[in-house]
Amino acid sequence: MNAILENFDKIFNVSLVYATFRSATPIIFAALCAAITQQANILNIGTEGIMLVGAFTAVTVSYFSGSWFLGIVAAMIAGAIISMIMAVGHIRYNSEICAIGMGINMLALAITKFLVKAIFNSTGSFSSPDIKAIPRVNLAFLDSIPVLGELFNDWCVTEWFAIILIIFLQFLFYKTVWGLRLRAVGQFPEAAKTAGIRVNSVKYQAMLISGLIGGLAGAHLSLGYSTQFIENMTNNRGFMGVAAMYFGGANPVFTALGCLLFGFSDSIGARLQAYGIPSQFVLMMPYIVTVAVLSISMVAKLSAGRKRESALHSGN
Amino acid sequence: MNEYVVEMKGIVKNFGQVQAVKHGEFNLRKGEIHSLIGENGAGKSTMMKLLYGMYPIDEGEITVKGEAMKTLSPKIAIEHGIGMVHQEFMLVNELTVLENIILGFEPKKGLTIDFDKARKDVEQYINQYNMEVQLDKKVSQISVGEAQRVEIIKTLMRGADIIILDEPTAVLTPQEARRLFEILNNLKQDGKSLVFISHKLNEVMEISDRISVMRQGGYMGTVNKDETSPLDLTKRMIGREVFLNIDKDYSKAGETILKIEDVWIPSQKETSKIRGMSLHVREGEIVGIAGIDGNGQSELVEAITGLRRVEKGRIILNGEDITNKSPRRIRNSGLAHIPEDRNTRGLNRSMSIEENLVAVRLDEAPFTKGILLSREGQDAYSKDMVEQFDIRPTDYHLPTSSLSGGNAQKVVVAREVSMKKKLLVASQPTRGVDIGAIELIRNTLEKAKKEGAGVLLVSAELEEIISLSDRIIVIHEGRITGEMMASEANENNLGLLMMGGSDAGKDGEKAV
Repeated sequence: MNAILENFDKIFNVSLVYATFRSATPIIFAALCAAITQQANILNIGTEGIMLVGAFTAVTVSYFSGSWFLGIVAAMIAGAIISMIMAVGHIRYNSEICAIGMGINMLALAITKFLVKAIFNSTGSFSSPDIKAIPRVNLAFLDSIPVLGELFNDWCVTEWFAIILIIFLQFLFYKTVWGLRLRAVGQFPEAAKTAGIRVNSVKYQAMLISGLIGGLAGAHLSLGYSTQFIENMTNNRGFMGVAAMYFGGANPVFTALGCLLFGFSDSIGARLQAYGIPSQFVLMMPYIVTVAVLSISMVAKLSAGRKRESALHSGN
Repeated sequence: MNEYVVEMKGIVKNFGQVQAVKHGEFNLRKGEIHSLIGENGAGKSTMMKLLYGMYPIDEGEITVKGEAMKTLSPKIAIEHGIGMVHQEFMLVNELTVLENIILGFEPKKGLTIDFDKARKDVEQYINQYNMEVQLDKKVSQISVGEAQRVEIIKTLMRGADIIILDEPTAVLTPQEARRLFEILNNLKQDGKSLVFISHKLNEVMEISDRISVMRQGGYMGTVNKDETSPLDLTKRMIGREVFLNIDKDYSKAGETILKIEDVWIPSQKETSKIRGMSLHVREGEIVGIAGIDGNGQSELVEAITGLRRVEKGRIILNGEDITNKSPRRIRNSGLAHIPEDRNTRGLNRSMSIEENLVAVRLDEAPFTKGILLSREGQDAYSKDMVEQFDIRPTDYHLPTSSLSGGNAQKVVVAREVSMKKKLLVASQPTRGVDIGAIELIRNTLEKAKKEGAGVLLVSAELEEIISLSDRIIVIHEGRITGEMMASEANENNLGLLMMGGSDAGKDGEKAV
């Protein structure tokens, strides 16, 4: 404990801000993947699997083509294919979305494991200097500015893109015709139908975009966040994304804030580990934070509701 | 030029085994209000949903403004100027009123929705037809009457000149209904053609130009309002006369069965909070609670039945303190409950008639044998109930989702009344049901009373309260504003108390 106090300034410093964001980005993409379908009242529990397939596809295509961009595009297409399989099962054949989603997650785990072996003749993981990583954006003028430089320089291209995507989805959901229709479809499909909106078509579109974002989430994980593919490398980030989506009520900005919380506990944990906190405890931190945050916000919401509804205290 | 804007001929529509419309006829003239009446399940809503393209027709032809419609969908109907205000509002609670109105027909400015233009367009209709709505409130925050005006504006915004209203007054207070009629007349003056679906004959006689009647999926003719009477319409609707008036006998009221002492009950809505209410119900009497919807009736009923928390005060049933006890405990102490919403609380609509009938007494003989369910016991009981309460269709293995409103409500009433509990709480027992079912349900309540049960009746229908109750308690914003014997009550003195007027009923009578 003393070690932590003595090194307080080494744990909590400017670089923690970027470390937090860096850890959060894969989860942010995953959460946005879940948020867009949630707006259409589809719980995309398959985020985890879509992301894993995306991560694998990105590494494979980048390795063979030598282009990180092609890797991303291929990952997004792979994500879209998977999400469309889910969409057909759920929308056309009316199966339970959670069951399909869990099926996809298990399939993704198995199929990537198999393909790593079949294509690269390797078990567990694959890395190679021939995998082209997503480049980082170096802004020369920032080099000379102390704090800003440390905060904003050398971000990965997809990290900048995450910010753009949050803002874009916020705009899409709440300012555009498509967003209004999407929300109406999710909240009361009958009403949307009587307004002449083709409900299923909107749901398919949401699933499609979700797949594209999910694929991108995976590509960022395997080509931006790291430069390799490891079996089950998503490591529940898809589920964390779903949790953050709930925390933020499928609102992109609030959802991203939830992801930052995960990123923060993840990076602070990594630092604490260096000062004698057991690694098992450190690994628990993001989950403890999830449970705590969700519980506290629910309790606060409930007690505020009770007070507002009381006949004894309000009004005259 | 054809004189009709809508013509429907030889319409047939089946839903699986059920023939919803056997032989449907309907036509609509420009600038008229044409009522379509019939019992629930007579096929009138289905007819209009076919016109609006919600389902395809099996046989027959539909002509709109001279054009034969080969296929119809809501989208095509809207393009031809048809708008529909559904019985269950098609409004998204979490969206604002303005967002709901423009949904599907959003004005655009570049990439975004042009909310300023939308607001201007909507305000034009608000002013023209005197329909007050609050555009920036979420739908979950507005009243039922206002939500209905939102629905009407929605149809107008989509360019409708043929507007179908499916039982629009079923959810309104008398005052709100009056206001709706003014709006409908304004629309008619402006040349809009209106279809008014209802089974309330006094309203139909007031608002219509012409009236078409349906019975059991068939067309029973069209009459001009001036050439008919409520009695004539009733005969056409159900093929015989009905008697809704009930002889009252108040002499047998006995021991106090329900006693409510200074209870305070929370609510989401300010006007629905119960703030210090005391009342009692005795054996063998019907106590009616009159009040405008949303003045605490639902909260009171929920508190008595254990579905809502009581903050202060006591509720005593059959000598036992049941305050904040579980619904099951309270039922065991002698409560039967006909809830106000049969779809959410009265029935499990995906389960069968039989399963719903035995749902509250599954642990009793003859419905169980040890830990197993007893098929024979349940079948015998269901058969008896279906006969006794005239539930149609009679196959009690059918899911209740296939039942009309009236028959669904009969299942709830049969289940609750047959338990012969000491207290029967009946909340809006005849809301949205046909006149045949109303007659049966009212007689059932009366019979329960004669057999010694205390009945607490909550109803938005003043006529029902007056004709059924022995004693009437009027509430306004969660407080009792008056109490009187039913023999002293009339629509005027009750109406004044419902608006929060002085608690002297007799003064109210003079003032009107």
